[in-house]
Amino acid sequence: MSRLDILHFPDSRLRRRCKPVGTVDDKVKRLIDDMFETMYEAPGIGLSAPQVNADARVVTIDVSKDRSAPLCLINPEILATDGEAETEEGCLSVPGVFELVKRPERVRVRALDRDGRSREIEAEGLLAVCIQHEMDHLDGQLFVDYLSRLKRERIRKKAEKAQRHA
Amino acid sequence: MSRKRPPGVAWRPRRSARNVAHALLTGVLRDGRSLGASARGRFDARLDPRERAFAQELVFGTLRHLPRLEAWLAHITPRPPEDAGLRALALLGLYQLAFTRVPSHAAVNTSVELARSIGKSWAAGFVNATLRRFATERDAIERMELAAPARLSHPSWLLAEFEHAWPDAWESIARANLERPPMTLRVGTDRIARQDYIGALSKRGIAARATRHSASGVILEAPCPVERLPGFDDGLVSVQDEAAQLAATLLDTPQDGRVLDACAAPGGKTGHMLELGADGLELVALDNAPRRIEDLRKTLSRLGFTARVALGDAGKPRGWWDGRPFDCILLDAPCSGTGVIRRRPDIKLLRRPGDIDVMVERQGAMLRALWPLLVRGGRLLYATCSVLPRENERVVESFLATRADAAPVRIDAAWGRPTGPGRQILPGDDAMDGFFYAALAKR
Repeated sequence: MSRLDILHFPDSRLRRRCKPVGTVDDKVKRLIDDMFETMYEAPGIGLSAPQVNADARVVTIDVSKDRSAPLCLINPEILATDGEAETEEGCLSVPGVFELVKRPERVRVRALDRDGRSREIEAEGLLAVCIQHEMDHLDGQLFVDYLSRLKRERIRKKAEKAQRHA
Repeated sequence: MSRKRPPGVAWRPRRSARNVAHALLTGVLRDGRSLGASARGRFDARLDPRERAFAQELVFGTLRHLPRLEAWLAHITPRPPEDAGLRALALLGLYQLAFTRVPSHAAVNTSVELARSIGKSWAAGFVNATLRRFATERDAIERMELAAPARLSHPSWLLAEFEHAWPDAWESIARANLERPPMTLRVGTDRIARQDYIGALSKRGIAARATRHSASGVILEAPCPVERLPGFDDGLVSVQDEAAQLAATLLDTPQDGRVLDACAAPGGKTGHMLELGADGLELVALDNAPRRIEDLRKTLSRLGFTARVALGDAGKPRGWWDGRPFDCILLDAPCSGTGVIRRRPDIKLLRRPGDIDVMVERQGAMLRALWPLLVRGGRLLYATCSVLPRENERVVESFLATRADAAPVRIDAAWGRPTGPGRQILPGDDAMDGFFYAALAKR
């Protein structure tokens, strides 16, 4: 396993729409393993393939405090949503920024698991937020897109400045 | 997605123990900085006590065994890296593999991680290969025949000094210098009985026993952060090796005389004298470096004592002496530190052969300059933490040869061994640091 580099906003590669995974082969499994390692090391509670510059509809998630609930979704689709809740979100591709985002409170999702089997998941709370946040990435969408244009521009300028000085 | 840190936690990640250890070691290897100088602040800031202890163990241990580790590194790779940061990284890794209980995969992986985190990703492969090779061939590499300097991890000039001075004991001195020293405390016996303090420690789960030679000393079974010691902030207890605790008792401090502590910082022995003396005791604590004077003041204020603290050179009393003589003088002279190498392993690296002659010169000059400040019938204690006779009995002997009014006072003690006009403790004797003491009386 190895740790991957995480792309940072406003990298244009974060804006691509990712291709669905055909078969869950060894290459995909290796990507999943590397993504978990990268996510845990960051540390983060969710990571999507485009964030590590991989063109695949894959996300890894673990919202537990002790790494006890790893969850991997391949080709996820939202089947239903319900309610509305506002949560403070952050993103490994936008380090240091935390902003309130309004999303559905509960989601039902269908996806393939690491073994290529189709599964349905119902989630609420932080897990529901995290699933939606990561799925957005697969379509080139970032959580800062939910903020006002003024805020987003300020974050972009700050990020660009930080990257120049890194 | 990332989780927001709870409030109060800095956004900047805490540096790991290994990161701090690496920065310190690189400072010593590349810039010849002494550990004392570069560790200031580093060990405390941003590391919790457990991490701090680990960082310290890594740096001190690596420096302790440096020549041996370097010989192994040279064996594994024909051309060891010139980059000091990378060398420090490899040596830290080898130290963990050979001398600690860190599992070998962890030692290797964290070293590779460290290479990446300090911007040396290009060297990750080298670090990985070098450490793995050591891990697999460890037995053979450790059994390799090495010349004395590498085998005993001392520079050859220093071994030659030891051998010349101690033909029978030089090798055991060198070996004792490689040991991890105990953490020894001095209890403020004017405020609490030693046995009661040992009881207070054991209530906190800290195992300790009384020292053999010092009446105020306590040896901890395992080192522990001073924050955990009962009453440390209130000055109930100080960290001081048992050998250093012998100074105040040898001085036979009068209850209400005038005492000079000539090279006082950081104030360990100063504090001890004040603990043993009565209220009438007037103590002048002198040191020649403003930064060390600060340490001295801190020690005194923690212990709750007031003393006259003066900045000045012990060899030039004209600059600071008010003309009133002293009943007692402690001259804890600047020295090679060859008796405390186990506590300050960087000494082996930073001292140069020519340093000793300079030290000897200064020691003699201080002794000659301070003697006139002593009243008739007064006592001067000459002390060093050196094991080299050149800095010890030789200095005192040549002083005695020129002063008719100076006579050595025999030290009857169960510790150390008589050497000329004084007594020598070798490192490791009853778990003590190496020290030399000679008491002189003025006729």
